[in-house]
Order: sequence, then structure tokens, then C-alpha cells
Amino acid sequence: MPFEPKTQVFNSKINTIVLGTGDKAVQIGGNNVLPFYSFDAPIENAPKVGVEITDEALEEYVQPKLKAFYDGCNTLPEMAARAQDIQGVSFLALHLKGADPNGRNRSVDECVALAESIAGAIELPLVIMGCKDIEKDAELFTKISEKLSGKNILVLSAREENYKTVGASAALAYGQKVGAESAVDINLAKQLNTVMTQMGVNPASIVMQAGSAAAGYGFEYLASTLERIKLAALGQGDAQLQMPIMTPVSPETWGVKESIMPEAEMPEWGDAEERGIEMEIATASACLAGGSDAVIMRHPDAIQAIVRMIDELV
Amino acid sequence: MAVKGLDIFKLSPKKNCKECGVPTCMAFCMKVAQGALPITKCPYMSEEAIALLSEATAPPMKSLEVAGHKLGGETVLFRHDKTFVSRNLYAVSVGSGMDDETLDAKLSDIQKVDYERIGEREYVEFVFVLDEGKGADKLSGAVQKAAATGRGVIVETKDPEAAGAVLNSARDLIINGADASNWEQMNEAVQGKAVLGVGGSSIQEIYDTVQNLEKAGNKTLIIDVTAGSIKETFAGAVQVRRGAIKDSVRTLGYPSLVNMTKLAAGDVHLQTALAALFTLKYGSILVMEKMSYAESLPLHSLRQNIYTDPQKPMKMEPGIYPLNGATPDDPCMLTVDFALTYFLVSGEIERSKVPINLLITDASGMSVLTAWAAGKFSASSVKKFFDECQISEKIKSRTLVIPGKAAVLKGEIQEKLPDWNVVVGTREAVEIVHYLKDGEHEKAAAAVAASKQPAAAKKTEVSPDAPFDFDKIVIPDIQVVDIGVTYRQRDPESKKFVVIGERIHCISPVIRAAMEKMDPEPILKRAAEQIRAGATYLDVNIGPAESNGPELMTWAVRLLQENFNNVPLALDTANKRAIEAGIRVYNRTNGKPIVNSADAGSRMSYIDLAAANDAIVVALCSADGIAKDNEERMMHCHNMLEHGLSLGMDPKDMWFDPLFLVVKGMQDKQMDVLEAIRMFANEGLNTTGGLSNNSNGAPKAVRPVMDSALVAMAMMQGLTSAIVNPNDRRLMETIKSCDIFKNNELYSDSYLEF
Repeated sequence: MPFEPKTQVFNSKINTIVLGTGDKAVQIGGNNVLPFYSFDAPIENAPKVGVEITDEALEEYVQPKLKAFYDGCNTLPEMAARAQDIQGVSFLALHLKGADPNGRNRSVDECVALAESIAGAIELPLVIMGCKDIEKDAELFTKISEKLSGKNILVLSAREENYKTVGASAALAYGQKVGAESAVDINLAKQLNTVMTQMGVNPASIVMQAGSAAAGYGFEYLASTLERIKLAALGQGDAQLQMPIMTPVSPETWGVKESIMPEAEMPEWGDAEERGIEMEIATASACLAGGSDAVIMRHPDAIQAIVRMIDELV
Repeated sequence: MAVKGLDIFKLSPKKNCKECGVPTCMAFCMKVAQGALPITKCPYMSEEAIALLSEATAPPMKSLEVAGHKLGGETVLFRHDKTFVSRNLYAVSVGSGMDDETLDAKLSDIQKVDYERIGEREYVEFVFVLDEGKGADKLSGAVQKAAATGRGVIVETKDPEAAGAVLNSARDLIINGADASNWEQMNEAVQGKAVLGVGGSSIQEIYDTVQNLEKAGNKTLIIDVTAGSIKETFAGAVQVRRGAIKDSVRTLGYPSLVNMTKLAAGDVHLQTALAALFTLKYGSILVMEKMSYAESLPLHSLRQNIYTDPQKPMKMEPGIYPLNGATPDDPCMLTVDFALTYFLVSGEIERSKVPINLLITDASGMSVLTAWAAGKFSASSVKKFFDECQISEKIKSRTLVIPGKAAVLKGEIQEKLPDWNVVVGTREAVEIVHYLKDGEHEKAAAAVAASKQPAAAKKTEVSPDAPFDFDKIVIPDIQVVDIGVTYRQRDPESKKFVVIGERIHCISPVIRAAMEKMDPEPILKRAAEQIRAGATYLDVNIGPAESNGPELMTWAVRLLQENFNNVPLALDTANKRAIEAGIRVYNRTNGKPIVNSADAGSRMSYIDLAAANDAIVVALCSADGIAKDNEERMMHCHNMLEHGLSLGMDPKDMWFDPLFLVVKGMQDKQMDVLEAIRMFANEGLNTTGGLSNNSNGAPKAVRPVMDSALVAMAMMQGLTSAIVNPNDRRLMETIKSCDIFKNNELYSDSYLEF
């Protein structure tokens, strides 16, 4: 008897959310099968890749190839404009890590001005990533959402401790999209989505940030959380988990030893930049395989590999 | 579908003849279900039972062993469903057309990547030799060179003659290249001396070829799912594995091979992306063009993460980890072997740039607090670690920073390591950078050193096995105070649910302080509250209590029993001598003492302790970590039961604890636990456990609701006792009501008041 593979099509699907406006607006989510399971049903909307520009990029992006890519850029808006040239990228993520009160403590006004100048320099949709300080982020997201109202940006992200402020301002007052960030834990993710929708935020305005990790650094928790979210969203029709997932990859992978240890200190490991690129690629690919609907990446070479993989798979 | 041990048991002769080498039929059937023994080991199993079972017990995916590596044997599609068992293996490709120099260089590159990560050797396990049509001699030559590296060898050839020829060049080969056109010849050529790889233009074609090979008697196969495109290859990998595991298509139940060099020739980055994809989704052997450290570091560590058993946290090897170029003169920081703890702590230390020797001590892969509470991280375990790893010889510095969460151990560790200056570090890893940069550790160590008495007489170390004179235990006088609560006389034979009150536990700061000073008041207060609320037994957890366990337990037992009409007690500590001391002064009027607790691993001897003292024992159905499934729970149960029976225990005195799991994190395992309780009850066994663990981390208002719903379900399954907080009124009312429905207590309108 010939073998006929069974298909596994779900009646539920992941919400589609739109970022940005006009021609360059991008849709995230929208599928009703497990990641890349095109043999079960067509992939309606391919996963998306965004480019991370940190507010410290001018000093931080020192790796030779990365630096060469941004050669000639003297300001962050110039870098942002250049980042759009990377083939296949769909959005830009401005990561305001320097706003951290325990770090450089860049002022809110400065951050707002920076976000505005970058928004003005690019055509792609904009994602604003905070500094992980609860209070500072709430203020940043509020002010930036106000300043960029009408741009349909995403703020990444509201957390358990500040979702009321961020949800009320970014989503309800200024009509932006909001990320809901929880530690790597499916129950916490569902709870945050629930309370955010209870306060009136439209589910179609919510993106999940269900945690992040670099390969080798507790990635098993993230992989299983992503898979379980997708299975609950599709298999159990759990509306509180049907928000698409966006995973910041580069902020994790470019901080681990494997990516930053200089070759001089670890000669057998070889070129540090190449290690960082491969770490970013492997992590991003594993996130997409687990269930991320969008990933945030940094290195053009790494992005190129992931974009090509996505193209091949959908 | 895998068959359950108990299903096999139903078909077994049930005569416990021991001829199979296992003491009971039940234990034998459990082992058969796990695949540890073949069913045919039983001489009395009927023909039809054997036929029925050998088909049903065949695993959904075959396991192979090639060149010392295990492949296949997976039982789930998602690691959170249970665990993945055979990590994917890597191969790097060479060609038979390569000239010697190129080949040698490539083989030498392959061997350059070889290192250890969290106790695992990470390297390229196989060399993949592609037959480039340069003749059998060239191919054999390349295979011989590949085999000389000590790695496994995979040969890809579609030529049966070449396949036959290389068989003599190396042992333990995988020969990949059978398809619809050549499978018969290829099968003859390998003569069962190598694993045969099967490919084809579609999954249907592969299926047919595998079926043909199986009919020809060859089941030592792998399936090469590599197709013309990445998309089709991914489809093949998923459909083969899903067909085998979800749809029980046995013909697809073989390990897979994915050849990245065909899918992304020349594009190393894309190959890395694909290797990561196929690590999560069902590639067993991944063939790469190149594996330098840049590829290996992320890919091997990703594999290590994905193939971690979700029930068993990754553990670091105990030892000294010098960070930031630390030498033996630099200070030491101590933490546990839970891999995530290690990564967090080492990451922060590295960020501080302060040279530190990080000491990782064995704590069964638990976090600091959990390990401490379980007695796995104590002054003795630290001392043992120092001795075994010869820390004092290898390190010259005498500054030892212990985790802030284990501050309570400072005194005892200092006592056991008198030469060291023990200081308490930060509670959280994120505080380490400031702590070290500000030199807090050195200041504190200097203070400790200064405060030491120069000629402090060394306490002689007493071995836990040394003879101990219980009659010499001296405790403060026991005061009997009128607290307005009495414990009502109880019939130890009563069928009523046994509520073991958990509130006298040294993890509570109030109780810990009271125990340190042997201050009766806080302990009596908590005891009174629990007795008033309806507790049957009181659990007395005195912590590891390494220095004064016997005194402390003697005092606690007498204090509680003399104040509360001989309230029965569960004696809860890792210090066995303390339990012994407690039982010596224990009054049995209202029930035997309970030894809390034994397990099927390192705490098996607590059963001996209970048996020797005619006590009840709580028997945790786990050994190292939580049992994976009910087969394993039952196996632990039977091991402990057998042990107890051999010591002459009444099985009724062994209260089996299935281990209640937290819903936030292990929601999908809750019904397993309930099912286990039913299995215990069906065998007439008593059960207990820390039931409220299910709602750990849930909001305060929700916990009583969850706990009482679960206790009702568990009592329906046959649960006979639970270790809970009796002050939870909703829970207690639920238990009392269930006792009414179970006819354990005669109904009256006022039943809730008793």
C-alpha cells in the first residue's frame, strides 16, 4: 500500500498584525500551521526579519565587516537608512539600550529626538526597543508613541510591571502596536496577554516577546516555550496566545562569550566576527523553527543567511 | 503505541517464580515496558501474549548504534512532551576525488574542533566520504584515511560494487545510497555489515524502498531525507518523523540524514541556519561542508540545549573554574552545579573583570535554595567537595564567598573549613559586578580573618557513621504551657484522610530562628494553629541540622508531644541520626512516627531507618530528578516496596509520594500524577505528598481553589494523605467533605466543625 503522509491543519490561526504605513507596511503572523510546515498548508505570510540599530551603534558596531557595511555613516539616522539596504529586511528596530539609568542614562528627550530623526530617515516600519528599566521604558514608550503617532510603530515591550502605563499610552492613546514581554514562561505570556486585552488593548495590536536566549544559554526553555505557545494557539485555539511572536536575537547573541572573546585571547576559536555571525544565525534559525514570527538581527551577513532560508522554506 | 507495564502485567503468569531473574512479575513487566528486558525472558508467557506484545512493544522509531553513537529511539515530536534521547550527530563531507593533500588538510581541520561543554565532548562525530566516481580504490583509500581519524565514517555511493569494496576498508560504516533502482544490489553488497542509508525522489518512494528492504530482512537503516530543495527536504524530515511517531508508521521509524552540502553548496552560513533548523526538527545526522569553531560553538551548544531532558536540569561538572585569568592566589566564589546558575554567575563574574576562582559543588543540578532545602547543598557537602577536589591544596587564597541565599550555612562551613575565611556574597547574580568591583569580598574576608581566635582549638570532626550515644543528648527543660488547644485522641487505624501540617519548616525564617535558639514559643504557636485547623500529623522539618540534629529533634519531638497530647509527628530532615533520636523519645499513642522521606536513589536508606524503628516512611517515587512518566514512577515504587518488604516492613507503612508537580510549568503532567495515585491505590498502597506544590507561584487568592480542586480529584483517585497547610480553610473543608463522600466519616450536619 503506498504511503500517504497525513497533514495537520489547524482551524485556528495566528493573528496578523500590521506595522508601519503605506507601501512598506509589513504584516506579521497570520499562519495556521507550525513554522514552515508548508506541506500541511500554504504559509500565508513568511516570518519577517528586522535590523537592530542600537543607540550606541556608532561606537558599538566595531566588527570589521559590520563596520564596513556602515562605512561612511556618521549618524544613527544614516546608519538606519543604510540598514534598509540589506536585502529582505522588513522593519528596523531602534534599541535604546543607552537609556538605562544604570548605563549611559540617555535622557528621554534625547531618545525621543533620536527616534523621530530615525523615523524620518527610513521608509520601513519602526520598532522601538527599550532599555529594560521598567520606569524609564514606560516613559520612553509613552513619549515616543506620542511623537510618532500615525506611524504605526511597535514598542518592545510592555512587561508585567508597566503594561498598564505602556498599554494605555502607546496602544490606547496613540494607536501604536505593543509588545507583551514575559520571562521565558508560557503561563506568564498568556497572563500578560490576558490582562492587556482586559484593559482594552485590541489583540490585533499585540505582539508577544516570549523571551530570548542565545544558543547554549538556556535556549531549551525558549525553544519549548515557543513550541508550546504555537501548539496552544493553533491546537487548542487559545485566543490569548494567538498573538504573533517577535524575538530579539542579536541583543542576546552579541553579548555571549562565543561572539565577543577576542581571537587574541582564544586563538583556536578563530575570527571573532565570524563566530558572532554564526551564533546569530544558529539562534535566529532555531527561534524561527520554534515559532517566532519575526526576529530582530544585527549583522548583514547573518541576516542574509536567514532571509535566504526563509525564502527557501515558504 | 508503547505498551504500559501494567498492561503487560495483565498478560503475565503472575507467579513470581523469579526464573527471569527479576523478583516479581510486576517488576519484570515494568522492565519489559522500558525495553530493558525482552518479553521472551519469561518462560511462562503464552505464545499469543508474546505475539501481541512484541508487535506492540516495538518502539515507534528504531535505535541504532553506529561507531559508538546512538541514533534514533525517539518517542515524542516535541521535547516538552517527554524528552529527546539521541542527540543529532554531525558529519563533515570529503570527496573520493580529492587529492591527498586536500583530503589530509580537510581531515585535520575536522579534528581541530574537539572540546568539552558541560560534561559533554563536542566534536564532529562522522566523516562523510562522497564517492565522486574515481574508482573503488580511490574511494577505499579515502575511507581508510577517514577511519584513521577515529571518527565514524559515512560513505555515500550508489554503486553496489564500490559499496562492497569499502566494507573491507573500515568497520562500523554507514553506507548511504540505496534507492528504488539499486536497493537489492546495495543490500546484497553491504551483507548486513553496515548501516544502509536509503534515499529517493519522494517520501513515497523512500517508503516503498524501505518496505522492500525490511521484507528482505534488513532493518538496520537510516533514511536520507535530502531532496532537490530545502523546502522538500524539510517536509521529508518532518513527515518521516511525524509518520513514525504520531501515526505509528513503522516503516518510517528510522533515523534520518540531512545533507547540507547538497542543499546549500558553498554557503557555510546558510548551512549553519539549516543545521539549527534540523536540530529542532528531526535531523539525526547532519552533513556539513565545514565545522570550525565558528559553526561548532553555536551548533553544538544548541544541540546540547535541545537534547537536555526537560525533567533533568543540565549540570556542571564540580570543580574549579578560573575566570578572568584567575590564579591560585585569587579568591574563590562557591555556587551549585545547576548549569543555568553557573552561566548567570560566571557571566556576571566575567563582566566584573575581577579574577575569581569559581567553585562548582555537586548539588544534584538544583538551584541554591532548592538544593539547600533538600540537603544537597550543606556544610558537609561543601567539605566533601573541598576534600575530593583538593581545593585547599590547589588554591592558595583563603577567601571563600558563599551564595547570599545560603547565608545560613556560613557558620557551619567556617567550622568545617577553619583555614578559610568564609564570607557571604550577594543574593542575586546581578549584584556580583558591584560587589566584586568594590572589593566587598576582600574586606569581609579580612574581617573574618581578624576575628579568628589565634589558638582556637580545632573541633574534632565526627563522622556521621561513628557510634553515637543517644543517652548523652542534653536538651533544655520542656515547658508545658496552656495554649488552649488540645490534640484529640486518634485511632491510628482510622481510614480518614491524613493531613500532615507542613508549617513547622525551617525554610520559614521565624521557625529557623526559633530552632537555632531552641525557642519554644513560635513553634508551639504554629503547632497550635495547625492542630486547631484539623491537622492529623505535624511535620517537623529541622533542615540539614548537621551540627546538632539529634538534640534539636529530641527537643522538638518532646516539646510538641508533651504540649499537645502526643500529637503524631513526621520527622523531616536529611540528618538520619536526628530522626533516630526523635523516634527514641516519640510516643506512639496517636500514630507511628513518619520518616520524611526516602527515595529510590540516594535516600533509599531512610527505608532501613523506618524499618529498624517501626516507623512509617514517606517514599518519594523519584531517584535523580522527577520521574519522566508513570512507568518510571512505578519502577521506583516497586524498587522501594521490594526493599521495604525485604526488611520486614508492613507495606501499609510505606506512603508513596508521586511528587506533585507545579501547574505553572508542568501543566501537561498533572493527569500523570493523578493516574499514578490510582495505580498505587489499585495495589492497595497508601499515598501522600506535597499537594500544594501544584499551585506554587499562583496568586494567593487562587491557590486554595486549585489546591482544593486537586485534593478532591486526588482523593477520588485514592490519595490517603497529603502534606499541606491546614490553615487553608477551603482545602480542609474540601478534604472533610471528600471523607464524607468516601464514607470514611459518618455524616452529620456539623461535620465541618470536627
